[in-house]
Amino acid sequence: MENAAIFGWALLWILFWGALGGVITPRIYARKDLEISQASFGGAVIGAALGPFSLVPLWLATPKITSRLIGISIALVVGIFIAAFALADPDNLCVANGGFVISQLANGIVIGIIYGLMALGLTLIFSILGVVSFAHGEFYMIGGMVTYFMTAQWIPGVSPVVAILASCVVTFAIGYLFELIFLRPMGSGEIERPTEYAILVTFGLAFFLQYFTQALTSAVPVKAQRFFPFPRVEIPAESGALLTTTPGNVTIFDAISVPNPRFTAAVLALLMLAALLWFLYRTWVGKALRAVSQDRQAAAVTGINPNSMNTLAFSMGAMLAGLSGASLVQVFSWLPQVGIPAAARSFVIIVLGGMGSLPGAFLGGLIVGLVEAAGTGCIPDATRAAAYIPAYGMVILTLVLLLKPTGLFGREL
Amino acid sequence: MNPAALYRVSGSIAVIILVLLPLASSEMGGVGPFVLNSYFMHLAITAFFYAILASSWSLLAGYAGQFSFGHMAFMAIGGYTSGLIGKFIRFTTAPSELCTDIPLPGNWWLVVLNIRRVGTIDESCLDMAKAETLPAGTLIVFPPVWASIAMGLVMGAVFGLLVGWLVLRLRSTYLALFTIGFSEILRASISAEIPITEGQSGLELVPLFPAGIMGFSSTSKIPPYYAMLFLFLFAMALMTWLAGSRFGLFVRAIREDEEAAAALGVNIVRYKVLVFVVTSTLAAAAGALQGHYIGIITPNTLIILQMSLVIAMAVIGGLENIYTASVGAIIITFVLELLRTNVEIGPILIDMTLWRLVFFGLLLMLTLRFQRNGLLFPILERISRGGVAEETVSIRVEEEELVEDEAGVDVEAEEEERAASPGNSK
Repeated sequence: MENAAIFGWALLWILFWGALGGVITPRIYARKDLEISQASFGGAVIGAALGPFSLVPLWLATPKITSRLIGISIALVVGIFIAAFALADPDNLCVANGGFVISQLANGIVIGIIYGLMALGLTLIFSILGVVSFAHGEFYMIGGMVTYFMTAQWIPGVSPVVAILASCVVTFAIGYLFELIFLRPMGSGEIERPTEYAILVTFGLAFFLQYFTQALTSAVPVKAQRFFPFPRVEIPAESGALLTTTPGNVTIFDAISVPNPRFTAAVLALLMLAALLWFLYRTWVGKALRAVSQDRQAAAVTGINPNSMNTLAFSMGAMLAGLSGASLVQVFSWLPQVGIPAAARSFVIIVLGGMGSLPGAFLGGLIVGLVEAAGTGCIPDATRAAAYIPAYGMVILTLVLLLKPTGLFGREL
Repeated sequence: MNPAALYRVSGSIAVIILVLLPLASSEMGGVGPFVLNSYFMHLAITAFFYAILASSWSLLAGYAGQFSFGHMAFMAIGGYTSGLIGKFIRFTTAPSELCTDIPLPGNWWLVVLNIRRVGTIDESCLDMAKAETLPAGTLIVFPPVWASIAMGLVMGAVFGLLVGWLVLRLRSTYLALFTIGFSEILRASISAEIPITEGQSGLELVPLFPAGIMGFSSTSKIPPYYAMLFLFLFAMALMTWLAGSRFGLFVRAIREDEEAAAALGVNIVRYKVLVFVVTSTLAAAAGALQGHYIGIITPNTLIILQMSLVIAMAVIGGLENIYTASVGAIIITFVLELLRTNVEIGPILIDMTLWRLVFFGLLLMLTLRFQRNGLLFPILERISRGGVAEETVSIRVEEEELVEDEAGVDVEAEEEERAASPGNSK
């Protein structure tokens, strides 16, 4: 960083006016007897955007804080943040090299799709059962482990499709059994304080599954081969300016480069997402699931059995986590502990998207994927940037909890 | 004997045994046939360490209903703060000129070291100053261990306050979500900042009593045993007092029904934050003491699996009672050690270091499902009820109420109806 001071001062400026706006705006709105539900959050982002130049008019005119106003302010804050970074460090790859930036963005979106898929599973469970599964990361880990052991150890040469299906079956079955034995009694009132029970028992499952896998597989990191290597293609022929593929990489317009494992994982995730949407919106069972998430009693009156929907939702959520693990085992090296950061990331995503919101989870996944890509690409010290990957999500989580705990599309928890 | 007196007597006997236990250690020559080797003493210290963590976690989770998965993170904050002060702070009688000097009253200087790594050797600015700028005869004093431990406590409280203030305004699920991330990020930053924390190779701490105490050397197990025992007893006394006071009443009201407690005038956020700060500080104290006793602290002490172990101890012992949680922790620490030996069944070698934890994970889930109050609590219940099982007592009370109730007949008919259709019986 050449002029780190510029960046530091800009950050301090944003934080100071954001805090001031967040604290004072609701008081002014309350004194004028206006609606204050959005005032704290709106005041904070508007203050962060233009400082006193926007806060003073806001406090004098006290307009209705609409989502458009908030959206413009957030865009401004992000813009100022990027501009300050570019001024502070003009030689950084993320500022100087356009191709690098586009590649990082593409990679961020690609990985964000998979994060989104995993968080969808968690939010599906939450919307039906009202339970946050702390074992979600372990299902992710088991999905990857089963896929790796199928393709590399047990049946070498088996098609990756079979291995991925097997990992889906395994995670679905574990989720099914666990729900039947441990979560089903919550609905019948047999267990006092079900929320506390659910937190602890899913955490216990995580503890058990993690050590169980470690005892079976040992703690040596493993990594699967690429599932589907690309054929070699150059369009137009010879120059490859539009599209070039090698077995391990795809390059579009000579600029955007995405490694094969990430690309195939994202395609798998999109296929699964399409299947999930079809299931939820076009089949009877899917509609029943959504009905239970809206109103349990009303759904039960119309002849839907909420208990079996609970079981289905939990095992499907587990399967979605297993599937994202299965598609990522070719990208990252795999250990029994990989589930913990992945689970923490899913928690960030569902809080950011709003607990129980399906589109929120997907959008949150994309945002977290992009922020992580920006963080790893732009922080000058590369080893440190990689070590702090879990921290980027936590910064988002802290901001969301401070400013808007209901998240993007959240209902009150 | 009535139950309260029974508890008091048995508690006093247990404390006396724990206080007198070191007399039987090999360092003291043992008492009669009992000679406890230093390995046993080490286990006892570790057991107290886990007992402090498990019981303070049970105050937070079992009494207040707030589930933090960051208890080990606060433990590590205590240990690392104390260790970093020992590594970077010195007191001198003359300014070093090469380091950051802060003048103190009475012609003393507080020196913040600047340590550079040259090749494989750490080069501290104070060593250079000794050769160049410091006048001969300058005293260089390490910060006292008790002061750095106290700073560890303060840092634990500060972080507890920040995290609590951020998250405890919301429902309890958010605390669980946030603290998992918090301990992950803390582990990541400790591993990454190698120049400061030494990363995975671990930060070395000075012994608890660097110069020895009362004739015991600095490597003796007996002074740390008493230090940890004292902290354990102090923590139990503090928590007993808290649980029995108005504070404990409010906190339990919050667990039972937050809205109702708020409606009755309990400032729920303030009490939730308070209980979180108190328990986090206790965890930090245990961490700082254990760090100085072991002599090294690594980021692996705050991984989630360590946290799971503390939770398993508290839950299996009995989550809703600080005494059962601490006794559970002590028992499980010893059981875990006993289960260390590998088992060979025919050609298959079973690595017990892992399978014992699988077993405890399963036991944790089963305890939660079928014996919510832990495995020790029912025994206590049984003693305090004078051998009468809980069910009989409650049934008797119900029957008496039914007889007194004028509408008792209707209720009884309803009961019979409910019993007749098994699907609705629960």
